[in-house]
Amino acid sequence: MVRRVLSLTSGRIAVGVLAVIALLALAGPWLAPQDPLATSDDTLAAASGAHWLGTDYLGRDVFSRLLDGSRISVLGSLEVAVVALAVGAVPGILSVYLGRVFEWLSLRLTDTLVALPFLLFAVAVIALLGNGITQAMLVTGTLVSPLFYRVARAATLTVARSPYVEAAIVSGASVGWIVRRHVWAKVLPPLAVALAQTIGVGFVIVSSLTFLGIGVQPPAPTWGGLLASDLGYLDYRPWAPLAPAVLISATVWACNLLADAIRDVSGEAGRALLDRRKARAHRTGTPDTVPTGGAR
Amino acid sequence: MSTTPQAATPARRRGVAAARTRHALLRVLAVLTRSVLIFVPVFVVATFVTFALRSLSGLSPARIQLGEEATPEAIARVEAEWGLDRPFLVQYADWFGGVLHGQLGTSWTNGADISTLIGLGLGVSLSVATFALVIGVLIGFLLGTVAALRRTTWIDRTITGFVTLVSVMPAFVVGIVLVAVFAVGLDLFPAAGYVPAAEGIGPWLTHITLPAVALSFDVIADVARQLRGGLIAAYRENYVTGAVVRGLSPRRIFFGHVLRNGLGPALATLGLKFPSLVGASVVTEWIFGLQGFGRFANDSAQSGDVPAVQGVLVVSIALVVAFNLIVNLVLARVTPASQRGV
Repeated sequence: MVRRVLSLTSGRIAVGVLAVIALLALAGPWLAPQDPLATSDDTLAAASGAHWLGTDYLGRDVFSRLLDGSRISVLGSLEVAVVALAVGAVPGILSVYLGRVFEWLSLRLTDTLVALPFLLFAVAVIALLGNGITQAMLVTGTLVSPLFYRVARAATLTVARSPYVEAAIVSGASVGWIVRRHVWAKVLPPLAVALAQTIGVGFVIVSSLTFLGIGVQPPAPTWGGLLASDLGYLDYRPWAPLAPAVLISATVWACNLLADAIRDVSGEAGRALLDRRKARAHRTGTPDTVPTGGAR
Repeated sequence: MSTTPQAATPARRRGVAAARTRHALLRVLAVLTRSVLIFVPVFVVATFVTFALRSLSGLSPARIQLGEEATPEAIARVEAEWGLDRPFLVQYADWFGGVLHGQLGTSWTNGADISTLIGLGLGVSLSVATFALVIGVLIGFLLGTVAALRRTTWIDRTITGFVTLVSVMPAFVVGIVLVAVFAVGLDLFPAAGYVPAAEGIGPWLTHITLPAVALSFDVIADVARQLRGGLIAAYRENYVTGAVVRGLSPRRIFFGHVLRNGLGPALATLGLKFPSLVGASVVTEWIFGLQGFGRFANDSAQSGDVPAVQGVLVVSIALVVAFNLIVNLVLARVTPASQRGV
C-alpha cells in the first residue's frame, strides 16, 4: 500500500511535505535558534539575519516561535484524527452486525453530530470544560467522527452483502472471525483515505482554536496563535501572516493530496481510474471531438 | 365529431394539471414528514447534549456572582435561586419548554435576556453567512459548470487546480490575508465593524464583503467539485446520448437533462456545508471585529456563562435544521431520484 502510494507523483509530494512537517514537529523545539519565549526591546522588526522572520510585538523571534509551535499544532491534529477514528469506525462496523436498535440509535446520533456546527460547539465545550489541548482534541475528534462512521458502515455493508461472506456464514464462521478476516481488509483503504482527510481537517480546527486562544496557555507558541498576534500589527508588518498561513495551507493540502493518492491506488478507486481511462478512449473515438494534446 | 375532442381537451388538460399539482403537493408533504421525522430526534438529542454541558462543566452562577471565597450556604442559596438544585431531568424539561417558546433564559453574568442578546448578533451573522452562501453558490456553480462543459481541457484543469487551492485555505487564514491585502494594503474595504442594512445598502455591503468572501471559499470549492462530478456523470447517461441522437440543442440537453440530474450531490453538500459556515463565523467575526453570533458564543463561553452558550448552540442547531429542511425540499423538487431515500 505504502509502495503503491509512493509510485504516484502526487503521493510522493504529499509524503514529502508531511515528512517535513513531521520533522518540524519532532525536532522543531530544538532547531529553534532562539528562545521562543524570550522578549527583547527589538519589537516588530522586519526580517533580518538575526531574526529570519522578524520579531513580534513583544520582540520575540517569529521563526523560533514558528518552529516551537509546530509540535502542538501537529500533535493536536493527529489526536483529533485518532479520536475520530476510534469513536467513529468501531460503531460504524458494528452497526451492520449488532441489530436494528443499535443501528437506529447510532445513525440518529451521527445525524445529530453532523448537524452540530462543530467549531462553535468545540469552542463552547472546551471553554466550559476547562482550557486544555487534550479536552479540545477529544471533543473535536468526537464531533468529526461521523465521517468515519459513515465510511466504515458503507464499506462494511458492501462486504456484508457479498457472496463470499455469505459463504463464510453458511460454513459457520463467527461474526468476530468474519470482521477480522474479510471486513477489515475491505474497510481499511477507505478508512485510510478518511484518516488522511481528517488530519487535514483536524489541522484547520486546531489552528482555528489556537487562533482564538482556546486550548493553549498564553505564552506558548502555536501557528494559529502566531496568526492571531500578527493580526493586530498588520500596519507594521503586513507580510507577517504569510509564513504561518503558508505552513497551515501546505499541510492541509498535503493531507488532501495523500487522501487522493490513497484513494487512487486502493481497490474501489482503481476501478474509477480504469473507468476514466475507458471514458477518455470512448470520447476520443467519437468523430466530432478532436483529441487534444492533454487528453492522453 | 370534430368538435368533441376539442371540447374535451381543455377539461382533460385541467384535470391533468390538477392531478399534477396534487401529486406535487403530496410529494412535498412526504418529504417534509420524512425530514421532520429525522430532524426531531436530532434536535432533541442535540439540545440534551447542550443542556448536559452545565452539569459536565461543573460551573455555577454562584462562582460568577459571589467570587471564589463564597461560603457553601451562599452558593447553595444562589443555586436554588436559579433552580439548579432540582433533579436534572426536571431542569431539562423546564428549559426545553422555554426553548420551544423562544425563551432561552437569562445570562449568569449580567442577568440580561439571552434571546434578546442573540437576536442582536444574529442579524450580523446571518447577513454574512447568507452573502457568503450567495457568493459561494454563484461562483461555485459557474466554475463547476464550465469545468464540466470543457472537461479534460486546460480550462477544466485550471479550474480544478484553483478549486483545490481554495479548498485547503481555512477561512481564518483567508480572512487575515484579505484584511492584509484589501483593507490594510489597498484600503478598499473597512477592516472591521458592521453597519446594519437599514443605514444604507452600500456601507452594509462593503462591511460584510470581506468576511463573506473569506467564508465563501469553502463553499465555492465544494459546490464546484460536486457539480463538476455530478454533471460529468449525468453527461455519460444513456438518456443524454439519446437526446443528442434526437438532435436536441446542447442548451436544451444541458438544462433539461443534465443539470437537473447532476445537481443532487452539489445541493446535498450545501446542506452539510451550512453547519461549518455557522461554525467558522466564530473565527471570522473575531478577525473582522463583528459583534455577531459567533463572537457572542466565544465571549460567553470564555466567561463561563453557561445559559448564554446553551442559547447560542440551540439557535445554531435550529438554523442548521431549518436550512437542511429547505435543502431537502429543493432537492426533492429538482431531482426526484432523492425521493427514494438516499
